[in-house]
Amino acid sequence: MTPTPKPPLPDENDPLRPHSFDGIQEYDKRLPNWWLITLYGSIIFWAGYWFYYERAHIGHTNAQIVEQELAVIEATRLANAPVLDDASLWKMSRNPVFVDAGRATFETTCVSCHTKELTGMIGPNLVDRLWIHGGRPTEIYATVTQGVLAKGMPPWGPVLGPKKISETVAYILSHHQEGEPIEVQAAWVPPPPK
Amino acid sequence: MSGQKITIEYNDRVVRQFLLATVIWGAVGMLVGVLIAAQLNFWQLNFATPWLTFGRLRPLHTNAVIFAFVGNMMFAGVYYSTQRLVKARLASDFLSALHFWGWQFIIVCAAVTLPLGLTRGKEYAELIWPINLMVVLIWVVFAVNFFWTLARRREPALYVAIWFYISTIVTIAMLYIVNHLSIPTSLLHSYPVFSGVQDALVQWWYGHNAVAFFLTTPILGIMYYFLPKAAERPVYSYRLSVVHFWSLVFVYIWAGPHHLLNTALPGWLQNLGMTFSLMLWAPSWGGMLNGLLTLRGAWHKLRTDPVLKFYAAAVTFYGMSTFEGPLLSIKSVNALAHYTDWIIGHVHAGTLGWNGFMAAGMIYWLLPRLWNKPLYSTALANLHFWIGTVGILLYVAAMWTSGITQGLMLNATTEHGTVLAYPNFLDTLNTIRPMMLMRVIGGGLYLAGWFLLVYNFYRTVKGAAPVNGTIEVYDEAPAPDAKLSLAGTFFSAPTVFWFLAVGFGSMWMFGTDLVSTAGIVGAVACLIAAFALVPSRSKAWGGWYEKLLLNALPFTLLVFFAVVAGGLIQIIPTVLVQKAKNVEDRIQTPYTPLELAGRDIYIREGCYLCHSQMIRTLVPDILRYGDYSRLGESIYDHPFQWGSKRTGPDLARVGVKYPNVWHLRHMEDPRAISPGSNMPTYPWLLNHSYNASVLPAKIKVQRMLGVPYGPLTAQQIFDSMDEQAKGIAKDLRTAGAYVDSDKEIVALISYLQTLGKSLPVITKSAPR
Repeated sequence: MTPTPKPPLPDENDPLRPHSFDGIQEYDKRLPNWWLITLYGSIIFWAGYWFYYERAHIGHTNAQIVEQELAVIEATRLANAPVLDDASLWKMSRNPVFVDAGRATFETTCVSCHTKELTGMIGPNLVDRLWIHGGRPTEIYATVTQGVLAKGMPPWGPVLGPKKISETVAYILSHHQEGEPIEVQAAWVPPPPK
Repeated sequence: MSGQKITIEYNDRVVRQFLLATVIWGAVGMLVGVLIAAQLNFWQLNFATPWLTFGRLRPLHTNAVIFAFVGNMMFAGVYYSTQRLVKARLASDFLSALHFWGWQFIIVCAAVTLPLGLTRGKEYAELIWPINLMVVLIWVVFAVNFFWTLARRREPALYVAIWFYISTIVTIAMLYIVNHLSIPTSLLHSYPVFSGVQDALVQWWYGHNAVAFFLTTPILGIMYYFLPKAAERPVYSYRLSVVHFWSLVFVYIWAGPHHLLNTALPGWLQNLGMTFSLMLWAPSWGGMLNGLLTLRGAWHKLRTDPVLKFYAAAVTFYGMSTFEGPLLSIKSVNALAHYTDWIIGHVHAGTLGWNGFMAAGMIYWLLPRLWNKPLYSTALANLHFWIGTVGILLYVAAMWTSGITQGLMLNATTEHGTVLAYPNFLDTLNTIRPMMLMRVIGGGLYLAGWFLLVYNFYRTVKGAAPVNGTIEVYDEAPAPDAKLSLAGTFFSAPTVFWFLAVGFGSMWMFGTDLVSTAGIVGAVACLIAAFALVPSRSKAWGGWYEKLLLNALPFTLLVFFAVVAGGLIQIIPTVLVQKAKNVEDRIQTPYTPLELAGRDIYIREGCYLCHSQMIRTLVPDILRYGDYSRLGESIYDHPFQWGSKRTGPDLARVGVKYPNVWHLRHMEDPRAISPGSNMPTYPWLLNHSYNASVLPAKIKVQRMLGVPYGPLTAQQIFDSMDEQAKGIAKDLRTAGAYVDSDKEIVALISYLQTLGKSLPVITKSAPR
């Protein structure tokens, strides 16, 4: 293998600074223009940004922006709120597409307390005829959406949204029959752990 | 020349010691890193053992690689190069030895206390207060040894590497002391004096600048010595050194709030943090340019020389991460990337690429010189380079993919933007599992490369005789400083312009109408005057700067003024604001004694390392976790627990979500409740009793720090704890879980259940 010829050293004629430190010498090349433009540009950006947000208050604060966005979301939710009654939820509970979608949500979100068999553990049994917060489809829907904070049931409305919640309710209802008796239970007493 | 020629022998013994410590602690720190990365994939690797869980080992990893690995590497490089750059032996053999052994003793103390769960609960500032005192003491030893050596220098002018070392010593002292101000409650525990937003601001002023002045400036100094030495080429540009040094040390300090974007931190601080981070881009790249362009004319040597390979790659990684940093500081990018693995990838591009490779290059270059024997194997060093590079690329690419994927999933909405597309946090976690595994592989490769270095080191040094460098100098009194008086330092055109610009700029930024207008007029006038004078005065200013370089003390003072400005302007207003007024529309109720005990367990187990307590002002955060966090909700938190990474979900409002028994079952076996979770199990919390006897001292300190506790007697505290604990135990019993009321889990549950239960404040705050 022939050794690669050594490339000519650049800047042989560039002036070196007179002093060397432990043999280290220094050129004194001028600063690249693009580098200077980056530096000055970021300083100008700072001044403009600060003026826009903090001096002229044209730009909105984080809180103002997010409150506006939340208002839009609320309006969209209101406009798209499904008209749900007991009959339509019962109907969904006999539709395999709804029930399957509901099962998927249930198994990721609800089983930690209500178990995969819906027989309850931390949270109450959902397949017996005992209901604490109402057993009518719309009542179940309301319980899932609003939660029962005192008992540790989180409000799932903001997280899951109406579509997923109605599917989940349909899945729960698929374990029940329309017209079966509803008994009122005062509180849930969990079974002893297995 | 008067005087006789004499030979000075450098103190290279301490350099060899630090070098050996670098190699050993590097291996330890990286090994722990690979272990904890594997724990995130396989929860079983936590071994259900307190001192082996992720939450306790992660601080061990970060402290080991920052302070033990890079710390020792920095001391080796600083001591080796400084002696040669100033032509003087280190001032004191005793201080050098004290520095070395003191630092190793601190590391051993850290390695014992962190796994035991003894922590201050602040990232990279976890060490408990007695160790903090030792760190300060040893840092002072380092500073005295260094400046004393400068005072005895035979080289009148200070080379650019020395500038960077000076800025490191001064700034780290300032940052470390302020962020570690605490009041002890016992020999092993203390509470930080700052709380809530103040603590958050101080913490990230420190955390960000630990990266700046511990992982960056000293290594830049090392680059300025070792890279031109190895390349045998002159440094590219002296004036670039000047401009990028001063802009870097001045701007870096302001950028800390970019760790707190979109949080409850006041908006003006967020805007300062973001814009100054963008301004940091050019100064950082100044260092990269001076490094890479110094290699001009030496690129062909990269083919054969592993040292230059490491340096070229290290400087490239430095350039890459200092471009990525400003990018991540843009608020909208940050909304996606913050709390995700992208940040982990960013950090490791810097630490593995820049710090690790600079260390490797320096070690391979120093070994033959310190032991007077050729490197055992250049081929192994080359192999190390390639294995390490592939390791970094796998690691960083995996973390980018992971972070962006999870960020997009967490932020995705559906149904006209009203609902989260992936409401279950675990869906997002389990999507990135392959990438998390890739990180273990990348990190493992990097570690394997390091073991090659360890072996090469051992074979080179084995049987070799250590040799100390020498130099012949004329025996004469150390060159007296060409005196630059304090007046000459501060009343020179460059400093006056700098002070005026910062002063007028601050007036414009923060002043009311008239002051602000005066500020902008002054700043513009200042700018015009400075530019108008450049053509005629630049030579004189350059001359003044060369004179400044002959004067170590005035130089150090100017560095101090440059680094202190940003901190003063950000921290003082935040600390002076009266706590009760600094709450927006909610205020925290002080924790009950039991909740406080539970909180200290939460901190002990390092929960904050995976769970944030900060719901950002971003729609996806609010949809997932509830209303955004207000300042007042953590105003009594010593230390704050806002967190910096979400391996698990945010907990700011977890207190209103689940029943007590949910938490008990979840801590006992997370997967029983959340299938697919990677959280460790915490069985010991159900067996160990909490220590109530320390609470009176803790509450006394909290009162001292301004938390509104009544004058509780010890007995009242014990009674209150007992009563609350019994209530929780009773509730758990009715839910089928039998646990004694004095167990740690009961205290922890009481704390978790209080999160997010702040009180609304009646007096409406001013409109934002």
